[in-house]
Amino acid sequence: MKCCFCGYEFDEREADSGCRGCPLNSGCKMLKCPRCKYENPPEPALVRKIKKLCKNFGRLI
Amino acid sequence: MLKFRKKPSCTPAPDGTCTCCRKVALVGNPNVGKSVLFNALTGAYVTVSNYPGTSVEVSRGTVLVNGVQCEIVDTPGMYSILPITEEERVAREILLHESPDVVVHVLDARNLERMLSMTLQLIEAGLPVILVINIMDEAERMGISIDIPLLQEKLGIPVVGTAAAKKRGLQELKEIIVGDGHSKNAVFGYGKRLEADLLEIMSLMAGSYTISKKSLVLLLLQRDEEVAAIVRETEGAEFAAIEEKVREKMFARRASFHLELSLERKAVVKGILDGVFFASAERNQVMGERLSGWAVRPLTGIPLLLAALYFGLYKFVGEFGAGTLVDFLEGVVFEGYISPWMVSLFNTIIPWETLRDLFVGEYGIVTLGLRYAIGIILPIVTTFFLFFSVLEDSGYFPRLALLVDRLFKKIGLNGRAVIPMVLGFGCDTMATMVTRTLETVRGRIIATLLLALAIPCSAQLGVILALLAKIPGALAVWSASMILVFLLVGLLASRVVPGESPMFYMELPPMRLPQFSNVLTKTYSRVQWYLVEIIPLFILASFLLWLGKITNFLQVVVSWMKPVMALIGLPQETAVAFIFGFFRRDYGAAGLYDLQTSGILDARQLTVAAVTLTLFVPCIAQFLIMLKERGTKVAVSIAVLVSLVAFTSGYLLNEFLFLTGIL
Repeated sequence: MKCCFCGYEFDEREADSGCRGCPLNSGCKMLKCPRCKYENPPEPALVRKIKKLCKNFGRLI
Repeated sequence: MLKFRKKPSCTPAPDGTCTCCRKVALVGNPNVGKSVLFNALTGAYVTVSNYPGTSVEVSRGTVLVNGVQCEIVDTPGMYSILPITEEERVAREILLHESPDVVVHVLDARNLERMLSMTLQLIEAGLPVILVINIMDEAERMGISIDIPLLQEKLGIPVVGTAAAKKRGLQELKEIIVGDGHSKNAVFGYGKRLEADLLEIMSLMAGSYTISKKSLVLLLLQRDEEVAAIVRETEGAEFAAIEEKVREKMFARRASFHLELSLERKAVVKGILDGVFFASAERNQVMGERLSGWAVRPLTGIPLLLAALYFGLYKFVGEFGAGTLVDFLEGVVFEGYISPWMVSLFNTIIPWETLRDLFVGEYGIVTLGLRYAIGIILPIVTTFFLFFSVLEDSGYFPRLALLVDRLFKKIGLNGRAVIPMVLGFGCDTMATMVTRTLETVRGRIIATLLLALAIPCSAQLGVILALLAKIPGALAVWSASMILVFLLVGLLASRVVPGESPMFYMELPPMRLPQFSNVLTKTYSRVQWYLVEIIPLFILASFLLWLGKITNFLQVVVSWMKPVMALIGLPQETAVAFIFGFFRRDYGAAGLYDLQTSGILDARQLTVAAVTLTLFVPCIAQFLIMLKERGTKVAVSIAVLVSLVAFTSGYLLNEFLFLTGIL
């Protein structure tokens, strides 16, 4: 994914550091950029599912 | 994990690597067409395996060029040879430990100036580099021309212009890969002082390394622990002297080494590109670039910021979100349908009035908690996050950081503090957590204080905008009060808290037209997170207030606060909004909304209440984070200071408005 603040591209797996210990961590899915630490919202599961459906539909056509 | 494998003509090692042919590593930033080039060079069948000990996938393939077997390695994207992410670490690992015969640095012709800095680092490291300037077709369409022979001469390495997607320049590249003459000597240098420092440290290093000592020393000066471990192992007992010298040089340049090195490299790149890179007049007319320039200059940047705040915050969030949408959801849907229906439902199923009040009473979970969360807060945060996502997706925030850098330095911060401040408008609790990313303890304390004091969260801001927008002049008074308190407290704090303000620099990503799908996705994601977080807390707050009411504790607290309310010219009922505000800032703002709709506050009182409530002590969650991040002493001091400043400001503002009769 691409950081919304500095434009740095990183893997979502790299993004959780810095949030450990936060009491909002369990409900918070924000992804922290490894370079500037800006919090980026992840792509919601619903949007991912819709995209996947559209992709499969496109293949069928 | 092995995904595809085609039997190559040479024998691969157990990990999938090839040991008997020319190894070619493709390196470069993400999205420069590296993988397209890799596929074009190797064909469809490649080996994709996790790099040993990591979850990062590395693709390898083979190609026969003029009878020479080549193994091509597509390394993960990297921005610099100083790694931050695991991908970058793997890419560097390949360069350091697999000793490629050729390193092909692929960059995007449209961003030559920004990406050439890494070419310098690769050449400086003594690697056999070939520079591939890719996406030439797009660059030419944009009116960019690059004098490749001159660039080759200036860099002292082979340079090829390609359009990998159209297979342009591939044959030339293949021939250079299998040819000779990949220079390993840099033909450029830094300023005298830096070169002298590097030489001094390099002279202490006796071992032999796979990359140049100059490159290693630069990495040591940037606190690269992996490189430090390699040098320690190679130099043995001599490492102590090297470490000491590095520490000495770092201390001499403590505040600015990264910036200094970045500026030195930028100067070298500028010199190299002089007479090499030409952009036509049409390119200079690109709106995004022009807007980017305006956004960072104070003369144009401040009016631009004010315009964004006026149309985005005031008109869209304040008038439309907190006005039109709240009037409909809270006034029509909740007050007209949901609340009466729920009241009659609970009247029939719960005969005990006290218990019924827990759900549909004055502080009931449905009539207060859910009405606040869905009827008032939801439309406000949705419109706020829409506005926020538009600014975010356009690339405006890094420009804002540069714009306010000079001002923030006066209050002990720098442009980097824009990150927690901007996030604070979403949620101050998370923003307080983010202050840990600021460089100095002093910066973290000042940012925590200012977040607790003068940065309202989105819902609080929206409600206040909606309430004050109806009274001429009230919003101007509130805004002026907030800015004044922010700057005054910041100035005082920067003098009281010792320390220095670090330098701030950042590479600006391009400014662009926000993408509709991105804006919607980000807004949806944030609103979803917000609701998941606030609904349980609003229910809990309603429960505690109900408990406070039936035990009479709430009335006792309200009576305690009566003299303070009287001091700032507010009726005692306003104390309830302040108590709500301690549960959550937005809950307090929604309480103020109720007080205003019931008509017990005049224009002056509403403005004073809005200013005091915005400045008032942070909510419970933010206070807990302050305790965790800054320690008990600092957190309690901040909470006490914030309460004092809030009520003092409320008192002074009330007196001022009373005497001048402005409102």
